[in-house]
Amino acid sequence: MTRKRLRSLLPFLLFFLALAGFVLHRVGWLEPVEKLVVQVSAPIQGGITALLDRAGALTQTARDLQDLRARTEELEAENARLLLENVRLREVQVEATLCRDLLSFAQERQAFDLSGAHVTARVIGLDPSNLERYLLLDAGEDAGVQRNMPVVTERGLVGRIVEVGPRWSRVLLIIDVSSSVNALTQSTRASGLVQGQPDGSLLMRDIPQADSMSVGDTVFTSGLGGSFPRQILIGQVTGVLRKDSDLYQTATVEPTVDFSHLESVLVVTGFAQ
Amino acid sequence: MTLYLVVPALFLAVVLQASAMPHLRVWGVFPDLPLVLVVTWSLLQGPRGGLVWGLIAGLFVDLLSGTPAGAATLALGAVGFLAGQARRTAIRTQLLLPMLVVVASTLLYDLILLLGMQLSGRTVLWLETLGRIVLPSALLNLLLLIALYFPLRALHRRVAAQAIGW
Repeated sequence: MTRKRLRSLLPFLLFFLALAGFVLHRVGWLEPVEKLVVQVSAPIQGGITALLDRAGALTQTARDLQDLRARTEELEAENARLLLENVRLREVQVEATLCRDLLSFAQERQAFDLSGAHVTARVIGLDPSNLERYLLLDAGEDAGVQRNMPVVTERGLVGRIVEVGPRWSRVLLIIDVSSSVNALTQSTRASGLVQGQPDGSLLMRDIPQADSMSVGDTVFTSGLGGSFPRQILIGQVTGVLRKDSDLYQTATVEPTVDFSHLESVLVVTGFAQ
Repeated sequence: MTLYLVVPALFLAVVLQASAMPHLRVWGVFPDLPLVLVVTWSLLQGPRGGLVWGLIAGLFVDLLSGTPAGAATLALGAVGFLAGQARRTAIRTQLLLPMLVVVASTLLYDLILLLGMQLSGRTVLWLETLGRIVLPSALLNLLLLIALYFPLRALHRRVAAQAIGW
């Protein structure tokens, strides 16, 4: 049989083998051969599969690493953006709280003691000297601010405008030595003059001896003289200095406003007594 | 150092004094950066340079503060000129003389300001202010001087060849 003849018979031979294999498999005669082949090939297959899995895992790891790097970069960028957003939102929240407090203060007072518009001004600077206590606000004539207008926060009286520019104004704080405010205590209605002290505290003086004073009593503006609206909180009495030989008694007052942490204030542009 | 640098530098110092320094409040007072700068530079540069620095810084303080107009200019000019007189001694004594000069300068500066306030009709509680404001702030200025003196001396050595263009 020549090679050429064998080649021409090969398809028929393969077909016959396949048919025979099919028939032998159906009747179960191929089972031992199959088992033998599987037994021999299984470890090799397993090895190859494991190798391929490892190779696949390796390439997958490289791909994952690349993806992870990209993802990490994305997340870092996202994190930075969220951090900034968070800071901004917190700032907005703080400002909103401040504004809400000021607004509610204004609304409460509008029906009670104050009338007219209020300018919320941002504190932009303090006095560079230790000897005086001023604030610089970012609202001035353009916003309707004028000299002698009272300045308040939701916590109480801050001071009054003493100098105005187009977009700024200077506030003399009530804790300045030059400042004096007519005041009244809440429970005993004792009247006096609240003055600033060099160390930033307040002293209520010229209180008639007959008036009763008690520690813890709250001090409000009396509205006398027309410079400030009535019943704006000033502070709380922390001590009473009384000498029988004196015509008047004196009280130390702790201001309710924290002057070292002021951020926003209200300028009372009009009020009714 | 030319005025082109001195003017913005002193303006920045006064702005910092009005914005950042009040947050460093201790015992109810805070250090005076423009004053300490003027005193230190006067001790390094002499009376003429000290006077110029004092007048420029004082002008900015007057513009940014509620002090009677001109009081800070006059006070810081005087402080700069007088502190500058101690220049030669200061070089020999290292930090001791500058420390004494800054305390004396704080007293002089505050006294001139208080006098200006009194003359302009403002209430001045002399004794309380001296005890509660002037003396504590002199102590804080002393600490600020200790922090600033050597860096400023190094800066002065670098620009020593240049004279203020006045």
